[in-house]
Amino acid sequence: MARRAGKQLHGGPVTYGVLAVFTLGSLFPLVWTAIAASRNNARLAETPPPLWFGGNLFDNLATAWNDANMGKALFNTTIVASSIAATTVLFATLAGFAFAKLRFRAKNLLLLLVIGTMMVPPQLSVVPLFMAIAELEWTNHLQAVILPMMVSAFGVFFMRQYLISALPTELIEAARVDGAHSLRVVWHVVFPIARPAMAVLGMLTFVMAWNEFFWPIIALTQENPTVQVALTGLGRGYIPDQSVIMAGALLGTLPLLIAFALFGKQIVGGIMQGAVKG
Amino acid sequence: MRRAARRSRRYQRDARWSPYAFISPFFLFFAAFGLFPLLYTGWASLHKVSLHNPTQMEWAGLHNYSRLFEDEFFWKALQNTLTIGIISTVPQLLMALGLAHLLNYRLRGSMFFRVAMLTPYATSVAAATLVFAMLYGRDYGMINWALGSVGIDNIDWENGTWSSQIAISTIVIWRWTGYNTLIYLAAMQAVPNDLYESAALDGATRWQQFIHVTIPSLRPTILFTVVVSTIGATQLFGEPLLFGGTQTGGASHQYQTLGLYLYEQGWFNFHLGRASAIAWTMFLILVVIGLVNWLIARRLQKSH
Amino acid sequence: MHSSRTRTSSFRLAAIGLAAALGAGLLAGCSSDSEPDSAGGDGEKVELSIGVFGVFGYKQAGLYDEYEKLHPNVTIKENSTERNEDYYPALLNHLSANSGLQDIQAVEVANINELAGIQADKFVDLGKESGVKKDSYLPWKWDQAKTEDGKVIGVGTDIGPMGVCYRKDLFKKAGLPTEREEVGKLWAGDWSKYVDAGETYMKKAPKGTHFMDGAAGVYNGSVSSYAEKNYDKSGELIYKKSPAVKTSWDLAMRAAEAGMTAKLKQFDTEWDQAYANGDFASVVCPPWMLGYIKEKAGKKGANQWDVAAAPKPANWGGSFLTVPEAGPHKEEAVKLAAWLTAPEQQAKLFEKQASFPSAQAAYELPAVKNAKHEYFGGAPIGQIFADAAKDIPTAILGPKDQVIGETLANVGILQVEQQGKSPDDGWKAAVKAIDNAIDE
Repeated sequence: MARRAGKQLHGGPVTYGVLAVFTLGSLFPLVWTAIAASRNNARLAETPPPLWFGGNLFDNLATAWNDANMGKALFNTTIVASSIAATTVLFATLAGFAFAKLRFRAKNLLLLLVIGTMMVPPQLSVVPLFMAIAELEWTNHLQAVILPMMVSAFGVFFMRQYLISALPTELIEAARVDGAHSLRVVWHVVFPIARPAMAVLGMLTFVMAWNEFFWPIIALTQENPTVQVALTGLGRGYIPDQSVIMAGALLGTLPLLIAFALFGKQIVGGIMQGAVKG
Repeated sequence: MRRAARRSRRYQRDARWSPYAFISPFFLFFAAFGLFPLLYTGWASLHKVSLHNPTQMEWAGLHNYSRLFEDEFFWKALQNTLTIGIISTVPQLLMALGLAHLLNYRLRGSMFFRVAMLTPYATSVAAATLVFAMLYGRDYGMINWALGSVGIDNIDWENGTWSSQIAISTIVIWRWTGYNTLIYLAAMQAVPNDLYESAALDGATRWQQFIHVTIPSLRPTILFTVVVSTIGATQLFGEPLLFGGTQTGGASHQYQTLGLYLYEQGWFNFHLGRASAIAWTMFLILVVIGLVNWLIARRLQKSH
Repeated sequence: MHSSRTRTSSFRLAAIGLAAALGAGLLAGCSSDSEPDSAGGDGEKVELSIGVFGVFGYKQAGLYDEYEKLHPNVTIKENSTERNEDYYPALLNHLSANSGLQDIQAVEVANINELAGIQADKFVDLGKESGVKKDSYLPWKWDQAKTEDGKVIGVGTDIGPMGVCYRKDLFKKAGLPTEREEVGKLWAGDWSKYVDAGETYMKKAPKGTHFMDGAAGVYNGSVSSYAEKNYDKSGELIYKKSPAVKTSWDLAMRAAEAGMTAKLKQFDTEWDQAYANGDFASVVCPPWMLGYIKEKAGKKGANQWDVAAAPKPANWGGSFLTVPEAGPHKEEAVKLAAWLTAPEQQAKLFEKQASFPSAQAAYELPAVKNAKHEYFGGAPIGQIFADAAKDIPTAILGPKDQVIGETLANVGILQVEQQGKSPDDGWKAAVKAIDNAIDE
């Protein structure tokens, strides 16, 4: 475990001060969501808006939970987001490594193609994609949301950029000289070094898949929803009950953050150990 | 002897084919789920197609593209996308770089800070909308209330061109800064220690270390975030939609972005062909930006 | 479309091959699949799904439970999407792919004409079904879901006859009458009198208040009171020269330029806050808005609000239930749709949700006839809105009514009202935006 200078330095009060400001700014909407979820509709319309908790939190959470088929939605979304995050990270690391460090024909052209696919606005693929999914009779099945998102060009590009500077070419050469098969190289050299980036990519992809809305609302219904699809059902018709909607939003976001807070150490722990032994 | 030969043959085969094996899962999935929509969209952009019946196409040639040249809504959206893109992307990436540098120190509760950074990206759109409506409200918004307490009149944030674009940029900055911070942080953690040590031996201050060691090592990642943010800014659609709640992007389209215009054409007016043409135009704009960047980079390298 | 069929099929082969290669079969295990039952004849277990936007209130009013009691073999599942803006495009996707459709799909009045014109073959003809009684419904409502060749793709749920909700306390301070009969007389017969009342109000307006929420409300009320607005009888688009649009636009401009509006966009957060703070004295309101006002104006506004008749009868909002041809159990779905929209059930719904019946037979039922609204000073809303409903003109709808209406309000009127442009510029901008939206 080599220590890096950047790590050895302890943050001073200024560092904590700046981070605290940004943390407050980042957390405020979520905290306010909780405050709104603990109130009722009428109180939310008043000025000034409530800045502290009221007493309806658990009622509203219960209403949102029951109205939105939330149990099933959370279960589904966990499956969807984990599958997508796992496959994205795995395939992106493999492809990113190849693009970063290996030589093969048409490499640059293929890389351009990858970056090109990132440029296509996602709102439009929905229509042809649904035609295909309907042909396959996958409507309302989870694979309709999982399969189209199993790989991401963003991930491949991200991994390539990371590995270009993080993975010393000599390490691969050395392993090669020992006659190691390339899969072994990947396992013993690339993965350990890529771990911090894999953790970050996994986190970002998981959140993205968790919050994906545009496609699931077409591909699924509320019989078999993801969290975002379930939440669209929380409207109260002509009188949307904002505090219940906020309670639903809380139910949709909190599990995600709690999971990161609990398992983040394990995930990001990899970042510490993955430190490159220079 | 023979074994060595066999081994080297195997080695060669491995070296030649393994890269393809590594990239094939991505391209396999992309071919199945990315290529068809892409081609369909391209084909649709040459037709008159309605969302009511996406398989029924009426040939229109380049009409959907040529009309964009006279379409003032398109030009306005392009201009808005550009200004919002610049005022949101530049501060966002600079702040992310600074924050990542701070998070790279030894800190108590570093995990907490990281999760906090990711919160805006994970917060639901419904919640974010309400919060920003509270902040930027004309009559009862907190910002106007704060300005009022120092004697400045209420600003009608949504109706001014600049004020609405600044407001939307703050939403974008709020949502994406933490996201980019984590990406930079991952790359910073991979900077080899001895680079810092030798710089320190040469008497470089912390600031100089940051400029001469951290930034150059991060170059590929910075390139990555610039590319992704540029693409993101071009396709920006959620934030302006949630800011005003309508697809028009304000009464005089003052903050309608290309992404929002595409959404309006495709999902409100049901003109799939026109929306597809806008999408492909966005795609081409990005390609041109990429080429220009590449050319500049090459010129710079040559002059060095 | 042959070419696209073959392309999709070959694509399908590729995708199936890929799915098989990836063991998507395993994934299929974790999806909940309600296998379509067979025809669903008598006695067989049927699960009917109904897709709605917002809350139609069937569940809240206990109508599903009641139906399930009457038909022990049926269970009902409601899938609700909050916003029609999300619901309708998804429905179009499902219709065009004949996949993902519910047994019953609700459709907003703003979209029904378009579906009747373009997608009629995707729906069951409810006019021919024995369980559906044409005479129960208001004739104009019935006709809105009728295609040119007489097919009826939807049955009416509720309608939105307009009234004007107003604050007695503010009216009093401004020297206007407060008694609902008197207030109604103030502007009876002509929407311009409503704007006149606004002028009177503004002369003595309590500080910080305005006569109405926004100019779009007047426009909407006025234009809806005409039979012909954006389209003529032959389906020709005439909004640029239509007298209804011109008159209503001029009224909205008068209101905006006189400064009698609070410059609010309806259903915005700001609009909600203005209710809570009592910033405006009147708003054009169909029955379904009463609950909204009560919710947003809250305790502070209690005993202040009341309802008067609108200058002229007009309709705003309301929906239909349709049965898609591709739905799994059409026969059972038709029965349920007919039952849900029958007068008795519509009356129950009005009691619980204030969605006003489109079944005229319901107006004679005591639940409607004697309905009063406590929050609005005990106003006899059953009577007020039933009177308005009977005289609503048979509006000529067209496929792009929604886009035209929204653009005139959110682009044209708001440019004048909120951005200080001249009425002429506002009009031109709206026309430009509408033409761009309609042009294929």
